[in-house]
Amino acid sequence: MNTPACKALLAVVLALLATGCGPKVPERVRLVTTTSTDDSGLSTFLLEPFQEETGIQVQVVAVGSGQALELGRRGDADLVLVHARKNEDEFVAQGWGIERRDIMWNDFLVAGPKSDPAAVRGLASPAEAFGKIKASGATFVSRGDESGTHVREKAIWAEAGGPPTGPGYIDAGQGMGPCLLLANQRQAYILADRGTWLAYASRVGLDVLVEGDPALRNPYGIILVNPEKHPDVNASGARKLRDWLVSPAGQARIGAFQIGGQVLFHPAATGT
Amino acid sequence: MNYITGGVVEAARLVVTGDPEVLHATWVSLSCTLASVSLASAIAIPWGAWLGLFRPRGYRAQVFLLRLGMSMPTVLVGLLVFGLLSRQGPLGGLDLLYTRTAIVTGEVLLAIPLMASLAHGLLAGLDRQVVETALTLGASRPAAMVRILGEVRPGLVSIVLASFGRCFTELGVAVTVGGNIRLYTRTLASTIQLELGRGELARALAPGLILLAAAAGAAVAVQLLSREDRR
Repeated sequence: MNTPACKALLAVVLALLATGCGPKVPERVRLVTTTSTDDSGLSTFLLEPFQEETGIQVQVVAVGSGQALELGRRGDADLVLVHARKNEDEFVAQGWGIERRDIMWNDFLVAGPKSDPAAVRGLASPAEAFGKIKASGATFVSRGDESGTHVREKAIWAEAGGPPTGPGYIDAGQGMGPCLLLANQRQAYILADRGTWLAYASRVGLDVLVEGDPALRNPYGIILVNPEKHPDVNASGARKLRDWLVSPAGQARIGAFQIGGQVLFHPAATGT
Repeated sequence: MNYITGGVVEAARLVVTGDPEVLHATWVSLSCTLASVSLASAIAIPWGAWLGLFRPRGYRAQVFLLRLGMSMPTVLVGLLVFGLLSRQGPLGGLDLLYTRTAIVTGEVLLAIPLMASLAHGLLAGLDRQVVETALTLGASRPAAMVRILGEVRPGLVSIVLASFGRCFTELGVAVTVGGNIRLYTRTLASTIQLELGRGELARALAPGLILLAAAAGAAVAVQLLSREDRR
């Protein structure tokens, strides 16, 4: 091993380490959110004006709702933006988070084969549609991964008298995109969030059959991680970001986000 | 499938136009991998070589540990490093979770067992006489090891490239402790996963092709080096 090469290598390593651990110049806020907000591109679109205005760098970590709240509990996030109302309330009740605010909602829809063997097209109630799917013995793809969408799916099945038990019920255990592809392959019915649906709609031969019912609404909450539990969190930065998101400017930005000419997230912040 | 041709076109477009997100992800992948492989080499090659040449005490146990570590799933390593660096963990005060340093930490842990195991195999397979000769020439054990390592340079290069491949393409660590933060800790591999989740199959293929190009480059480098050695 010749020395010049070693020295050069050492210099490279030190330079790289320096970029990793150098002085942290801009203020950072870590927002932990769900994959649906990041995959759709909302988070990038939404945070641009805030970062330009304030110079605060927002780091978005996108995980499942369950993991997002766990990161808040551990103090690894400054702010959480999730859709799991029951768990959110628990998170606040246990003192991990403070000042939960409604911020926006998006919606789920029931998609299925164009031939619609269970004849659910145009029904208003998702539970009624699920009941007909079950009665007809048609195939249904379940996320089966304890995601927010899966939790909603189970709630609708409970209302429809429980999920089918036969071979027509496919427990996929995968993300929304792969499940849509699976539903397309098997010409099955599926509950999907609108964002992922729009991204995949051109690639799957399925139709939207049931949509628009209030029972299909998916509300998102934003919660500050409690600085009394975790003194190291950037509480002031997180508050600035939260205040901006629920302000008229932030809410307008949420409503302005579109994919394929469709609004994905509807602003929902109410006054304090 | 037309998404493959579409992906190739899209990949070329992203690279040629210098798409900032793709370039940045390439830079993150490359810089983290170079740092990890360099650090891991400094530890793993002497370790593996020492084991192979001198069979020190605890030899079997160490070799077993290295072999185990070599096939550790990257997500498991990610999970362990997450536990270390999370604010609730023993190193939480350093505030390193979701930084490139966290990715490097995980990749070093991935690369060390791989490199040490391969270095052990390389040197344990040497003719014993080479080792004995080096020692009887009056060299100390460390000096003999350095000398012998100099003799097997081409083998070491392959080992370094193997670990480069493992770190450059891994996903588990990059997502679990890097956090896949845009323009900060997003790597080529985590870009693929993200674009797939978004349903942007063509955009997912672009970083995949860059990874493939890097792998091809590494393979060519190995061939050139081994040819030079034969001369």
